[in-house]
Amino acid sequence: MTLHAYLLLGLALFSLGLIGVLTRRNLIALLIGVELMMNAASLNFMAFNRYVVTDPTVGQIFVLIIIGLAAAEVAIFLSIILRLYREYRDIDAEKLTELRG
Amino acid sequence: MDTLSLLLLTTFTPLFAFLIALIFLLQQPRAAQTVVLLGSVVSLFASIVLFLQGPTEPLRFLWFSSGNIQLQFGFILDGPSLMFGMVVALITGCIMVYSTGYMAHDPDKTRYFSMLSLFAWSMLSFVYAVDLLQAFIFWELVGLASFFLIGFWYEKPSAANAARKAFLMTRVGDVGLFIGVLLILQATGIFDIPALLNPQTGLSTQVSPHTLTWITLLIFVGIMGKSAQFPLHTWLPDAMEGPTPVSALLHSATMVAAGVFLMIRLHPLFMAAETTPVVILTISTFTAILASTIAMVDTDIKKVLAYSSISQLGFMLIGLAAGSLFAGVFHLITHAIFKALLFLCSGIYIHAYETNDMATIGRKGGRNLKATTTGLVIGGAALAGIPPLAGFFSKEEIFAQLGHNGFNIYMAGAFFAAFLTAYYTFRMIFLIVKPDRHEESHDHHHGPLEPLNMKGPVMLLTIGALITGFFGGQIAHMLNIHAEHHALLDMLPAIAVVAIGVFVAYLDYGRSQAQRTGFISNIGALNTLFVNRWYIDSFYNAVIVRLTLAIAALMHWFETHGLDGNFDRLGLNILRTGTQSTRVQNGLMQLYLAWTIIILGIVALYIGMA
Amino acid sequence: MLSSILLIPVFTLLIIIFTPNRAVKFVRAICVLSGFFTLVLSLQLWMGYDPIRGGIQFEELIPWVPALGISYHLGVDGFSTILVMLNSIVYFTGVLTMWDLEKRVKEYFAFMVLLVIGVYGVFMSLDIFFLFFFYEIAVVPMYPLIIIWGSGNKEYAGMKLMLFLLAGSALLFPGLLAIYHASGLNTFDIVALSKHAFDPEFQIFVYPFIYAGFGVLAGMFPFHGWSPTGHVAAPSAVSMLHAGVLMKLGAFGILTVGMRLLPEGAVYWAPTFCTLAATGVIYGAFVAIRQSDFKFVIGFSSVSHMGIVLLGLNLAVLGQAGIEALNGAVFQMFAHGIMTALFFSTVGYIYDRAHSKTIADFGGLGSQMPRAVSIFIVAGLCGAGLPGLASFWPEMLVFLAALKTYPIVGAVIIVGLVLTAVYILRVFNLAFFGPPNERWNNLKSLDLSGLHILPRAILVAVLVFFGFIPRVMLDLINSTTEAFLGRF
Repeated sequence: MTLHAYLLLGLALFSLGLIGVLTRRNLIALLIGVELMMNAASLNFMAFNRYVVTDPTVGQIFVLIIIGLAAAEVAIFLSIILRLYREYRDIDAEKLTELRG
Repeated sequence: MDTLSLLLLTTFTPLFAFLIALIFLLQQPRAAQTVVLLGSVVSLFASIVLFLQGPTEPLRFLWFSSGNIQLQFGFILDGPSLMFGMVVALITGCIMVYSTGYMAHDPDKTRYFSMLSLFAWSMLSFVYAVDLLQAFIFWELVGLASFFLIGFWYEKPSAANAARKAFLMTRVGDVGLFIGVLLILQATGIFDIPALLNPQTGLSTQVSPHTLTWITLLIFVGIMGKSAQFPLHTWLPDAMEGPTPVSALLHSATMVAAGVFLMIRLHPLFMAAETTPVVILTISTFTAILASTIAMVDTDIKKVLAYSSISQLGFMLIGLAAGSLFAGVFHLITHAIFKALLFLCSGIYIHAYETNDMATIGRKGGRNLKATTTGLVIGGAALAGIPPLAGFFSKEEIFAQLGHNGFNIYMAGAFFAAFLTAYYTFRMIFLIVKPDRHEESHDHHHGPLEPLNMKGPVMLLTIGALITGFFGGQIAHMLNIHAEHHALLDMLPAIAVVAIGVFVAYLDYGRSQAQRTGFISNIGALNTLFVNRWYIDSFYNAVIVRLTLAIAALMHWFETHGLDGNFDRLGLNILRTGTQSTRVQNGLMQLYLAWTIIILGIVALYIGMA
Repeated sequence: MLSSILLIPVFTLLIIIFTPNRAVKFVRAICVLSGFFTLVLSLQLWMGYDPIRGGIQFEELIPWVPALGISYHLGVDGFSTILVMLNSIVYFTGVLTMWDLEKRVKEYFAFMVLLVIGVYGVFMSLDIFFLFFFYEIAVVPMYPLIIIWGSGNKEYAGMKLMLFLLAGSALLFPGLLAIYHASGLNTFDIVALSKHAFDPEFQIFVYPFIYAGFGVLAGMFPFHGWSPTGHVAAPSAVSMLHAGVLMKLGAFGILTVGMRLLPEGAVYWAPTFCTLAATGVIYGAFVAIRQSDFKFVIGFSSVSHMGIVLLGLNLAVLGQAGIEALNGAVFQMFAHGIMTALFFSTVGYIYDRAHSKTIADFGGLGSQMPRAVSIFIVAGLCGAGLPGLASFWPEMLVFLAALKTYPIVGAVIIVGLVLTAVYILRVFNLAFFGPPNERWNNLKSLDLSGLHILPRAILVAVLVFFGFIPRVMLDLINSTTEAFLGRF
C-alpha cells in the first residue's frame, strides 16, 4: 500500500459524498454525504500522517477533532431537520426555499 | 423732567401698554382698554412737553456693531419730528377714545386696543428715529400693525385679503427702500440721519450724482408703497375693510403718513439728486389726478375718503418734490387732522346707519347728527381747500412753490386735482346733507347715535381743522424756514379752482332739482374707466398675480418632476437592480453549494497553474 | 464644561435604556431635566466665552488612538457656542413639545437623545474623526424616528432622507480621508490641520466633496429634496431638531472643515456655490407658494432660508463684505433654527389635535385656536424677515454683503423677501383667516394652554430678544469672524 492508494480512496469517498450532497434532495441523505466527505478528509489526514510526517500525534489530533466535530454537527443538523419537519412536514431540500430573495 | 425720560415716555408707554394688554389682560377687555388709553394719554402729554421744549440736539446710543456697521438707537428732536410726533400722539389719543364707543360691543377688544397701541409705538418711534435703519425697522412695524388692524375682522375673507394686499404691496415698496438703505450704508458706512444730511460731509458729497439718483429713487419706491402712490396705491382703498377708527388712524397720522414723513426726513437728499424730483412730481401729480377721478364716482363714503387720501398724499409729495419742505410738512399736518376728522365722522354714520353708501346715509337722515355733520362739513371744506380752513393754506403753499420753481405742467395738474378734490368733497357733503328723499331711519341702537366718547374726539378735531390753517407761521418757524406771506392776488387762482369745483358739485348734487349723477356720467367711456378704478386692480390680478402663480407652478413642476422625480427614478432604478439580482438567491442550497465548488475549483486551478 | 454638556445627554440615554418600558413619566422627567441642565450649562458657556480673547476656548484634549492621530479634542469658538446654545434650546423645547407622546415613549426619547448627543458632538469636536463620528450619530436616528413615529408617507420619506444623507456622507468621507492623507501630519486634529497649507490644486479638487457632502444636510439646492419630505413625515419634535439643528450641522461642517481647512478651494468655488445658493433662495420660495401642506410650506421655506446661510458662507470668502456675510450666515443659522423649531412645534400641535395638515382643510382657525395661530403667525412673520424678530438681522447682513459683492444677485435675493411674504400670507389667509370651519369647532377647547405654551413661549421670547438686542449675538460671532476670515 502506498500513499497514493489511500489518497485515491479518500478522493473516491469525497467525490461520493459531494455527489450525494449535490444531488440528493432528502436532508438526511445530504447529511450522509457531508459525513462521507468528512471521513474522506480524516482518511487523508491519517494517510499523510503515516507517510509524510514523522510525529504521529499531529494528524491524529486533527482526526479526533473532526470526529468530535462531526458528532456535534450531526446532533445539530438532526435537530434542525426535526424542527424543519415539524414546521413543514417535509425534509426535501428543494422545497425549503424560504430564504430566497 | 429731562428730555430722555420724556422721549421714553412718549415712545415706550404705548409699547408697555401693548405688552400688558396682550399678555395679562386678554380676558379683561375693559382693563385692557383703560391701560391702553392711559398709555396713550401719557404719551400725548410727554410729546406735548417735548414740543414745548423746542428742538434740541439728537440723542444717540450704540445699539450694536458688526464689522463696519454701527447701528445706533436714538431720537432726533428737530421741528418735523416734534410737531408730527405730537400730532401722531394727539390723533392716536382721539381715535382711541373714539374706539371705546365704536368698538364697544366687539368681543375682541383687547386685541384691538393692544394693536392700536403697537401702532402708536411703532409710528412714534419711527417719527423720532435718528438712525435710518432704526427708522426702517419701525417703518416695517408700522406696516405690521396696520396688517393686523386692517385684518382685524379676520373672519371676513375680504378683510383678510385686504390685509394681505396691504402687507404685500407695501412690502414690494419696502424692497426698494431696503435696497436704497443698504446702498447708503455701502456708500457711507453710516445710518445716522443728521450725518447723512450734512451738506458738507453727508451722502450727497460722498457718492456720484448718478448713484444718488438711484438711491433716492429706490427710497421713493418705498414711499410709493407706504404712501400709496401709483402704481402701488391699490391696497389703500381695500384697507377700508378694517374698523373705521383704524382707517382714520391709517390715513391720517400713521401708516400712509410714514411715507411722506420719510421724504420729509430725507428731503435734502431728494433735492440734491438730479432727476428724482421730476420723477416724483410726475408720479405724484398723476396719482393725485387718478385718485381724485375715482373718488368722483365712488359711492362708498370710506372709499371716497380713501381715494382722497391717496390724492392728498400726492399733493404732499408734490410740495416736497417741488422743493418746499414747509409745504409738505404743513399739508401733512393739516391733512392728518382733517382726514382723521372725516373718517371719524364717517364712522359715526356707518355705526348709526350700518351702511357705507353716501346716498343712503343722507336718506336715512345723516344730517340729523349735528356734531358729526358739522365735523363733516368743516373737515370737507378743509379738504377741499376753502379759505381760511386748514387745507387751503397748505395747498396754496404747494401751488406757490410749484409756480415759484417753474413747474408749470405739474402746477396745471395740481390745479386740476384741486378742482376735482373740491368737487368730490362737496359731492359727498351734498349727498349726505341734501338727500333726494327721506327714508324711515330704522333705529337699531338703544343708545344715542352720537355717544359722547365718539362725539368728543370729532368736536376736538373739528376745532383742530378750523384753526390749524393759521399756524403756518409757527410751523415754518419750527422748521427754521421763513414763511412768505402770499398776497391775496396770488391766492386767487387757488380760490377760483376750489370755487369752480364747489359750484359744479352744487349743480350736480346740491340744487333741489339736481340730477345727482355727476357730470362725468355723460362721458360714458371715462365714467366706466373711473368706476372700474382705471382697471389697475384687474390688471394686477390678471397679470402679476397670475404670473407669480405660474412661475410657482412651473417651479413646483420642476421640483416634483424634474429634481425630485429624477432622484426618485434613480432610487427606483437602484431598487429594481437589486430586485433583479435577488433572483440569483433562489433558496436552493445545493445550487449554492455547486456554485461555490465550481468557483473554488476555478480559483484553485488558477492558483495551481500560477 | 464641554464634556459635561456632552455627557448629560449620554447619561440620560443610559438611564432611559435601563428604565422599564412602562415608566413613561420617569423618562419624560429625565429628559426634561437633562434638557434643562444642558440649557443652563450652555448659558454658562455663552456667558463664560470671552469674546475679547476670541478663538477656541474651553479646550479639552485626550489622545485616543495616537497611532492614527485621533484624539478626543473638544473646544468651542464663537460660532459653535451659539450653535450649542441653539441645540440646547431646541432640545429642551422639543422634549416639552413631545410631552403628550403615548407611543413607545422610551424608545422615542432614547433616539431623540442620541440625535442630540450627535449634534452636540459635531458642534464641539475639533477632531475630524470625532466630528464625522458624531455627524453620523446625529443622522442615523432620524430613520427610526421618522419610520416609527412619523405620519403620512413615512417609509418613503425616511428612506429618502437616509439615502440622501448617506450619499452626502459617501461624498464626505473620502474628502475627509483625503485631507488627512494629504496633510502628511498623521493627525485628524482640525487645529493642527488648519495650520497646514494644502496644495491649491488639491484644495480645489477636494473642496466640492466636502461642500456637497455637508451641503446635502444643509438643504443645498439641488440636493434638498429629502428635507421637505422628511419634515412632513417626521413627528413634530423631530422636525424641530431636524430643521432647527440638524440642517445647521451641514452648514457648520462646511464652515469648520471646508472653509477652515481648504480656504483656497473655498475661494475658487465660491462664485459657483453662490449662484446655487441664490437659486435655492428664490426657488424654495416659489415652490413654497404652491404647496398644499403646512409642513411642506415650512420645508421649502427652510430650503429658501438655508440658502441664505449658504449664500452668506460663500460671500464671506469673497472678501468685499466678508465680515457682514459670515456674521449674517452664522446668525441666520441660529435665527432659522429657532424659527423653524417654533413653526414645527406649533404645526405639530395643531396636527396632533386636528389630524390634518392640509392647508385647505382649515380656514378661520384663528378664532378656534387663537393662541396656537398667533404663535404660528409670529414664526411666519419672522420667516418673512420682519424687523423686531431675530431673522431680520442676519438677512440684512447677508443682503448687504450680496449687494456689495454681486449687486444683481443681491437685488434678486431681496425680491425673495416679497415671495416669502407671499407664501406665508397665503397660509395665513387660507388656514387662519376667513370664516371659521365648523369641522374644527371641537378644537376650541384644545387651544394651547398651560405647559404647552411654555416651549413655544420660550422660542418666541428668544426670537424677540434677538430681534431687538442682536448685539448679544453679534459680539459673540464677531469675536471669531475676523480671525476666521484672516486666512482668506
